[in-house]
Amino acid sequence: MPSLSRVTIDGREITVSEGTTVIQAAEQLGIFIPRYCYHPGLSIAGNCRICLVDVEKSPKLEISCNLAVREGMVVHTKSDKAEDGRKTVLEFLLANHPLDCPVCDQSGECDLQNYYMNFGLYDSKFREQKVKKKKAVELGPHVMLDQERCILCSRCVRFTDEITETGEFGIFNRGDRAELGIYPGEVLDNPYSANVVDICPVGALTEKDFRFAARVWYLSSTPTVCNGCSQGCNVDLHFVLDRPHLNDGARLVRIKPRYNADVNQWWLCDEGRYGFGWLDKARITKVQGPAANGDATWEQALSAIATNLAELGKGRIGVIASAQLTNEELFLIREILQNSLGARVSSNVSEEPGSADDFLIKGDKNPNTRGATLLGLADPEAPDAEEIMDEAASGKLGALWVFGHDLVELFGEERVRELAEKVDLFVFSGTNDNKTVPFAHWVLPTAAYMEKDGTFVNCHGRVQRIGRAFAPLEDAREDWRLLLDLAGRLGQPLAFRGPQEIFGALAKASNHFEGLSYETIGSQGADISVEAPEMMDP
Amino acid sequence: MKLSDLEGKAAEILERYEYPKAAMLPLLWLVQENQGYVAPDAEVWVAGILGVSRSKVREAVSFYNMFHTEPVGRRELRVCTSLPCMLRGAGDVLAQIEKKLNIRPGETTPGGEVTLTEVECLCACEMAPMAQLDERFVGPLEGETVAAIVKDALTEPKSPESTPEPTPYIATDGPVLSLHFEDPDGTWMDGYVADGGYDAARKALTLMTPKQVTDEVLSANLRGLGGAGFPTGRKWSFIPADTDKPKYLVVNADEGEPGTFKDRYLMERDPHSLLEGMIIAAFAIDCHKAYVYIRGEYFRSAHRLQRAIDEAHESGWLGKDIQGTGFDLDVVIHRGAGAYICGEETALLTSLEGGKGFPRLKPPFPAISGLFSCPTIVNNVETLCAVPFILRHGVDRFKEMGTESQGGTRLFCVSGHVVTPGVYEAPVSITLRELIERAGGIRDGNKLKAVIPGGISAKILTADEIDVAMDFDSLRAVGTMAGSGGVIVMDDTTCMVEALESAAKFFADESCGQCSPCREGTGWVLRIMHRVRKGRGKIQDLEDLLAIAGDMEGKTICVFADAAAWPVQSYIVKFRSEFEEYIRTERLRESKEAAAHA
Repeated sequence: MPSLSRVTIDGREITVSEGTTVIQAAEQLGIFIPRYCYHPGLSIAGNCRICLVDVEKSPKLEISCNLAVREGMVVHTKSDKAEDGRKTVLEFLLANHPLDCPVCDQSGECDLQNYYMNFGLYDSKFREQKVKKKKAVELGPHVMLDQERCILCSRCVRFTDEITETGEFGIFNRGDRAELGIYPGEVLDNPYSANVVDICPVGALTEKDFRFAARVWYLSSTPTVCNGCSQGCNVDLHFVLDRPHLNDGARLVRIKPRYNADVNQWWLCDEGRYGFGWLDKARITKVQGPAANGDATWEQALSAIATNLAELGKGRIGVIASAQLTNEELFLIREILQNSLGARVSSNVSEEPGSADDFLIKGDKNPNTRGATLLGLADPEAPDAEEIMDEAASGKLGALWVFGHDLVELFGEERVRELAEKVDLFVFSGTNDNKTVPFAHWVLPTAAYMEKDGTFVNCHGRVQRIGRAFAPLEDAREDWRLLLDLAGRLGQPLAFRGPQEIFGALAKASNHFEGLSYETIGSQGADISVEAPEMMDP
Repeated sequence: MKLSDLEGKAAEILERYEYPKAAMLPLLWLVQENQGYVAPDAEVWVAGILGVSRSKVREAVSFYNMFHTEPVGRRELRVCTSLPCMLRGAGDVLAQIEKKLNIRPGETTPGGEVTLTEVECLCACEMAPMAQLDERFVGPLEGETVAAIVKDALTEPKSPESTPEPTPYIATDGPVLSLHFEDPDGTWMDGYVADGGYDAARKALTLMTPKQVTDEVLSANLRGLGGAGFPTGRKWSFIPADTDKPKYLVVNADEGEPGTFKDRYLMERDPHSLLEGMIIAAFAIDCHKAYVYIRGEYFRSAHRLQRAIDEAHESGWLGKDIQGTGFDLDVVIHRGAGAYICGEETALLTSLEGGKGFPRLKPPFPAISGLFSCPTIVNNVETLCAVPFILRHGVDRFKEMGTESQGGTRLFCVSGHVVTPGVYEAPVSITLRELIERAGGIRDGNKLKAVIPGGISAKILTADEIDVAMDFDSLRAVGTMAGSGGVIVMDDTTCMVEALESAAKFFADESCGQCSPCREGTGWVLRIMHRVRKGRGKIQDLEDLLAIAGDMEGKTICVFADAAAWPVQSYIVKFRSEFEEYIRTERLRESKEAAAHA
């Protein structure tokens, strides 16, 4: 039976397990104690002193991040003594802090600003020359350092020591000459380098990519899941739609990790964080058809495609689906194309696994391989994509629909050309231009994962929701929407109004997803991994 | 020497430590001793041997100020400018030396002969104003001696030096600590044993239990003489009985408090008394490995203590099965590299483990989790040197020399404006007035103005507050502290504003920088004091200084910030009118000068 202790904080009692610190117990009560050096994912440093609280029977204020709760402890976080202590610590931290707010990227999400407004509001009495250190230092491909802004909380040092174990950061010299840095000549380029920007409470460590891009108060936020690999790290998309003069008009400004205890905790790899340049560049924005000038409408495209598919009959359609698609979309492909039209469907595209590590980065660079597997569209139940290619090329299949893959890249231009000439219908639907696009008869622009709702299942068997931040670019449409439209034209309409309802049907049809809904999945996902071991992805 | 040539020695060094990272400081010393400084490729080499990142090595090199990162002169002349030396004219001495060598501190003479460095307290205040030329302390630097040291500084290292060996007053008649101080070349094994040395250790190992030893030391009211005054026996009793972790004894020989120099004499002149005290302490806490952390500038102490350790091994007083009693004890000397904060016991442990001298959060306390997370007792040199007397002559003999709550004597260090600065052994019940009189009273017929009774951190006492006993509790009762026993005396030629600036400089230089109130507060106080001294101060600055000092208290990881606050508070409060007068006068002078230059 774990030992429990009762503590009273600001007049409210709570019972917590042994070892819980006062700052954690307060959080459980919904009482926020300000903190800089404390971070739940890192070891305790206890150097910022801003979390000082007033503990009855203690002559001095104590730091709440390192104070384990004892039975009967009574703590005040808002007594005069506590507030005064907090204010003086803030004054010391701001003493040498440069007045950079007008030019500092952290403005609006800076804990010195925030705590000053909440806990400070004193008149400064610092009239001396502030200590001068190095500003605008490039530490690596993603991170900038301003030594003057640094409050030496050492979060970044502990991150590179304890999480990435790469040890780049150090705090050199002593006293008020102490300065954060990396070893001269070294570069901060570990695969998780930009996490130090997230955890830096001030504008000392900032992202090069975000530098001077936009003020944070112009950013909107939507929670989703990264599609960079099968880990499915939880993220927030920060975007701006109504100020096209910012960020060169690109809608998505930055991606930040979102806390999920079971997937990525507080962290995100650099590749996932920065891998969204394709969202607003080289997108397919218009429907293209076989007419001379290429441009067509959705009406024309879907009407023609429906007609062609209906004419071909059962067993003559090939579909190369994608583990980039959501469960909802894969479900519709299965129901509409496979079950109703008898199509040969596969998402088994053999790709070389990318780099992986023993932390978050997975070799499978698709977010929903597990989902495709659970829905029967991947190994072991589905044929290989190459088989479908061959069948199309041999004439056994009269239509080929590829979702997103660059077949030229995978199988070579010759085979694709041959196939395009052989089949009656070659549809490509995808987000970005690639070498296969020119060969397709119909090119359908589809939505990026940031532009639709849906779910993915990560490699650990966790089904997670993705969130739509903004509408698909120009004429692009969500795959689920075009599939539903197609179903209507094929005389088999499905009465779903959106991904949530599609998921409802999916959950009824598949026992892997039994009992789940968007509500029960929530923002942190649901573990459906009670699987036989052979279901696990590499 | 090339780094590859040092690999054998490096391996030997690693052998002494339970964990490789603890070899950080000795490896950096090895590099600097052989190459003159620590170059980047040496940092990389050390990082590889220790299995740490290069940044961690760079942290150590940049934190400890005895390490050089660039080539320096053949010799180094370190001039002390802390308060006790400033009181005896160190400012002028430094100016003279700068003029003679024609370089500023931090620079090297063009021919590469000598690098001049300005340093904080070398703890040789009995010979103030003083400097250190390579390993040797030289002082007082008055008259001809200044020219002599400059001349020596320009010669080849190890050339015979023309400056005389200092001869301050050093007590020699005990009864507890100074019995073997007569011979400046030290008392060695034969002489020590002939005088009853190691009898107490023998008694402990053969006739007593560890608990009996601890109880005796507790009953004798021995208090920690490094500065905190914690009852030594009580500290030893905190070692958990039921642990299978090894226990460590760590001797704090990082004497750094300005005004204090006693531990140096104990190590230089009576190193066996320290070893005997260590054996008894180790026996009491069931410890078989001890480290002595000696400040980097104390070269002679390290040499002499090592010699005593070697003698003790030869005579069977250290190593395995001491004197056939079955008790084992190994002692390793670990040298610091120039950081006052390493005198704080948890900072000392962090430094010993290979990091910067960062004090640790408490709890846990070292007795539970100290060196390498094992139960550890950290004791001051003088405290341990007092232990053999207690066992030899009995608890009562020791107790009755002191007060109700503190037994025995202390080696009081008297410096500043007295006729005879030096080490004075006296019962702790002696009053401050009596102590000053023993040191010859005030020099040159001047009048006493103020005294710091226990090292620079201690709050100052005015001339009419000196009828107080020098034990921990009496001094605490009058609002100051006995601290390290460093008594700094100021006569009426002293400018309290300059004195405070000097104290502020010390604390700003020595702050480790770990936590915000201290790091920012010490620098802030110093900058205000500089501005006041330049004639641009305001009366409001005094209020601000008091507010800043008050804000620094009680909020930090260790008490360095409180110690930094106390001089600010006590000098300004007790000499308020002098500060105000200074501000007004200097402002007037400065504005006249500014007008004249306009």
